[in-house]
Amino acid sequence: MQSISPTSLLVLVPLLPLVGAILTIILGRVLGSRAHLPAIAGIAAAAAAAVTLLLATAGQVGGTSGGHTEPVRPVEMISTLWQWASVDAAYTPPAGSPAAIPGTAVGGQGDARAFSIPVALRLDPLTATMLTIITCVGLLVAIYSVGYMHDDPGYPRFFALVSLFVFSMAMLVAASNFLIVYVFWEAVGACSYLLIGFWFRKPEAARAAKKAFLVNRIGDFGLAIATFLLWMTYGTLDFHDTLSADGTILPGILGQTRLADVSGIVGGTVGTAICLLLLLAACGKSAQLPLHVWLPDAMEGPTPASALIHAATMVTAGIYLITRASPLFVACPGALTMVSIVGATTALVAALIATVQNDLKRVLAYSTISQLGYMFASLGTGTMLGFTAAIFHLVTHAFFKALLFLGAGSVMHAMGGVIDMRRFGGLRRIMPITAATFLIGGLALAGVAPFAGFFSKDEILATIHAKAWPNAHETHHEVAPAGGHAAASQSPFLPVSHRRTTAIGADSGGTTLDALDRPAIWQTLYWMALLTAGLTAFYTFRAIFMTFTGPTRVPDEAGHHAHESPPVMTLPLILLAVPSALAGWWLFSTNWLAHFLSATPSLAAPAVARTAVPHAFHVDLAIQGTLAAAIGIVIAAIGHLGRRSDSPQMERLLGPLQTLFANKFYFDQIYSGLIVKPLEAVAMLAALIDRHLIDGLVNAVALIPVGLGGIVRRMQSGLVQRYALAGVMGVLMIVLALAWQLRG
Amino acid sequence: MMVSSCPISPLLAAGSMPLLHNALIVGAILFALGLVGILTRRNLIVMFLSAELMLQGISVSLVAWSRYHGDWGGQVLVIFVLTVAACEAAVALVFVLQAFARTGRLDAAAWQSLRDESLARTVDRELPASDATPASWPRLSPAGVLPTGGGEDDQQRQHI
Amino acid sequence: MIAAALPSLSPGVLLAAAVTSAAASLWLLLPRGSENTAARWLGMLLGAAALAGFIATGRRLGSLGEDAVFLTVSLVAVISGAATIVTRSPVYAAIWFAMALTGVAGVLLVLGAQFLGVATIVVYAGAILVMFLFVLMLAQPSGLAPYDRVSSEPLLSAVAGAVLLGLLTLSIGRLSAEPAACCAVPSRTAAVTEDPLRSTPLATDPMAAIDPLADDQIARLGSELFGRHLLSVEVAGLLLLVALIGAVAVVSRGEAALEADRGSLTERTGG
Repeated sequence: MQSISPTSLLVLVPLLPLVGAILTIILGRVLGSRAHLPAIAGIAAAAAAAVTLLLATAGQVGGTSGGHTEPVRPVEMISTLWQWASVDAAYTPPAGSPAAIPGTAVGGQGDARAFSIPVALRLDPLTATMLTIITCVGLLVAIYSVGYMHDDPGYPRFFALVSLFVFSMAMLVAASNFLIVYVFWEAVGACSYLLIGFWFRKPEAARAAKKAFLVNRIGDFGLAIATFLLWMTYGTLDFHDTLSADGTILPGILGQTRLADVSGIVGGTVGTAICLLLLLAACGKSAQLPLHVWLPDAMEGPTPASALIHAATMVTAGIYLITRASPLFVACPGALTMVSIVGATTALVAALIATVQNDLKRVLAYSTISQLGYMFASLGTGTMLGFTAAIFHLVTHAFFKALLFLGAGSVMHAMGGVIDMRRFGGLRRIMPITAATFLIGGLALAGVAPFAGFFSKDEILATIHAKAWPNAHETHHEVAPAGGHAAASQSPFLPVSHRRTTAIGADSGGTTLDALDRPAIWQTLYWMALLTAGLTAFYTFRAIFMTFTGPTRVPDEAGHHAHESPPVMTLPLILLAVPSALAGWWLFSTNWLAHFLSATPSLAAPAVARTAVPHAFHVDLAIQGTLAAAIGIVIAAIGHLGRRSDSPQMERLLGPLQTLFANKFYFDQIYSGLIVKPLEAVAMLAALIDRHLIDGLVNAVALIPVGLGGIVRRMQSGLVQRYALAGVMGVLMIVLALAWQLRG
Repeated sequence: MMVSSCPISPLLAAGSMPLLHNALIVGAILFALGLVGILTRRNLIVMFLSAELMLQGISVSLVAWSRYHGDWGGQVLVIFVLTVAACEAAVALVFVLQAFARTGRLDAAAWQSLRDESLARTVDRELPASDATPASWPRLSPAGVLPTGGGEDDQQRQHI
Repeated sequence: MIAAALPSLSPGVLLAAAVTSAAASLWLLLPRGSENTAARWLGMLLGAAALAGFIATGRRLGSLGEDAVFLTVSLVAVISGAATIVTRSPVYAAIWFAMALTGVAGVLLVLGAQFLGVATIVVYAGAILVMFLFVLMLAQPSGLAPYDRVSSEPLLSAVAGAVLLGLLTLSIGRLSAEPAACCAVPSRTAAVTEDPLRSTPLATDPMAAIDPLADDQIARLGSELFGRHLLSVEVAGLLLLVALIGAVAVVSRGEAALEADRGSLTERTGG
């Protein structure tokens, strides 16, 4: 599309779904059963634009050099739409701080920085990737929803919300300013609330929506405080560099000017605080410990919404944020390690809980949490491989998790709303397409070669392994399958110890958190990740076996629904199955994604870029991963394949642990006791104070005229002489006052 | 001054401040007394009498000023005050009689219906029985011959 | 006179004392339910004291004779006026009022308004007062009605009246102390010299002046009245006519209304 400039395309990507949402809201009633048209049209056009942008950006980045480790030139394009807020001379930063304007005299007059929030969109490889995922998966989910939400009375509302969500998420990943990101961070939270509580008349759904929103709020609080700290530390909230009126470059937080200089990023206490707060925000949005409690309950919403939001897109906002802020994290090793610890722990806990769930959607929900934990664990390694592996896994996970969710929706649709796996079985005979695509998705999730999940999981294990056994890693370099040079000795990969002692940033003191960055910790994390891989395979195939194998059982609610879904629903399943099967192989073999992403300014920064390793396929890790998966599948088969598909085999073996897992490690109960109940007590107290004290005060104030009136009313006795007396006394007072004034 | 050409006693000349002062004080006292009477006495007739007393005080003051300034205006105004007082008394007494016809008494406190609806009627406290014993008039012993009463002739005369 | 005898008291204190005793005396004298002879005597005593105080604020006229005459007639007026409002029987009040009228007529004569002095007696005492007495005859219960034996807010009213009196006396005193500041005698030559209702200009009209000893005093009053104030006189006549008609009309209509609710008269408690 030579006629449309990338800037316009970049604006169109969020704009078209927004227009679609507005049209659906206005015309929804009129369109009736065709209410999906504006939304799908908008998202489809946005998808086309996003793909075009992806290709354009790829063209900018240039061809992959298949394993070259020389730094790639960063590619970004900024398009400022308008100035949202602007206050001149808002803040005079201390001299020498990163917030100071470069080139100005210390304590000079021109030092005051303006507070300016431009609505600026950016286009770089990371954004292009995210936009493509969002719009394409969104499109497929929207098409699927035409069939799934067919008879729902809220049909237009659903499509308006999905469209709105796509707009919000697109703006979130395209925004080039932390405040704009915050705005749309909240916006996706709001869309999530609306979609989870879509069937708001159902009390569980309403409660789940509230829970999701409130838990997200805690994360949002972290993001807000982080934004404040960023402003104070860096004097700006823009990612990109801006030109001031007199031609000086004001470096953005993640702008190329600042990132080119390794000391431009603040580390130490402030930096760690910022990073931990960003981590808190990401935990809230991506459902990591301890803010993961909302995601399983969010399954009360319609399945397509779960597929879109809670599998593919919204929950990946946290991954996106940390990747985008990677230079900030790299400057604080302690925070990085926390990211990994949180991620790996979450992955393990969620996987354990998923093993005993009987609700198919719940299994997938916990699986999502677990896979997101994987991505966090990968991000926390702080290497180029870690970041790109996380994004790689994000991409593949988007495909196969959306596929799995849509498949579960298909099953639920056919089973008349029943999703408890114990009540149906052997569905592969009734719904072959669903079964086949679900199997593909399951294989991808379990990490079986050559499906998508295998490669991404392998890379994640590799990066963690590299941190855990740094010295041994250099001998692990093998020849890459697509041909690259094994320049192991030239690896600029820095051992952990070296990086820790490098002075970084103005506040160069390390924090106590940095002590976590030890190989022992990383080794523990590695084994946790490996165990999680095995558990993932186990629960995935337990679900597959319980649902699709064994004797065919259909619950009574299914009625005449128990057949394959209509093509409008199976087509997206097939379309998603293709990348689930092939994308991993293709992206890994060409190393295209990693190369592409390395041109993102955040990742092209020397601090991150120097951690790049040559692209390699780690056979030993692959073997470990596949072994874990195989063990999991076998145990699942023993427990649930075929005729045993409805029997609680494994649960009996776990004994008391089963109760622990089934109760989700009692997180909800702990939160309820520690937080919810005290807050309820406080709220009750506040209500009491409000009702009796404050309302009492107001009522008392209202009683004053009544009281006064009661007193004054008695003066109106109807006796004329008393009235006359009152008049005379009034006149006397006036005359007395006048006489007093005029005396002398 | 104009009046110096007329043969008037200097003591009664216009512009005599002491006279004015004293007369004004008298007028003020009468006015105040009348005011207290209106505010206090419950009998409608006594109220009107007090009002007339106030008007008397006014008249005295007006005439005093008229005398002081040597101007007839004050006296003319008093004439009109007199006229209006007469009219007012006539009409007012008609109303007093109407009021008496409705309530049976000449009490200003008998009319309380404009009071606030949550208030009860104000009633007087119980007074001890009137100790104003009716004056005992002297009784004359009958003298002379008592007339022989009865008969129509005693009731009516046919002629003078 | 008495002020000379009390040189130690400043006029302000004197006035305050007079006002206070006037208020107390009125309060004591006003009918307050039970007959209390001691209260009445005390009230009269305090009233006398108050009167003495007010007399002390007065100014001496030219000679002793003038002082005596003025004092006599004004005392008659004032004491009768006080008696009017405190006496219980309304008939006595009417009689005292007639007495007060006499005193007022005397004051008017001293002030040189002969016609008005006589007119007061004739119109007020002769006509208006008699009308009041007629009404009393028709409407007054025998003996003392309960509402004649009580007063409405005697204390507050007495205080209000006394304060008013004190204020008036104060301002009259200030007025006479600095006449030039507030009440200079206007020069009639400076005022209107042409009056459209007169044939001769005011400045040279001998009839325009007040002269108490002149023989044609009343003629002058008449010429002033029917000269400058002709219109007002006509209107006053009209007013008298209207009052007459109005009184008759109210009576006739009132009787019809009275006939109408004769049946519900028993329910009406007068409220």
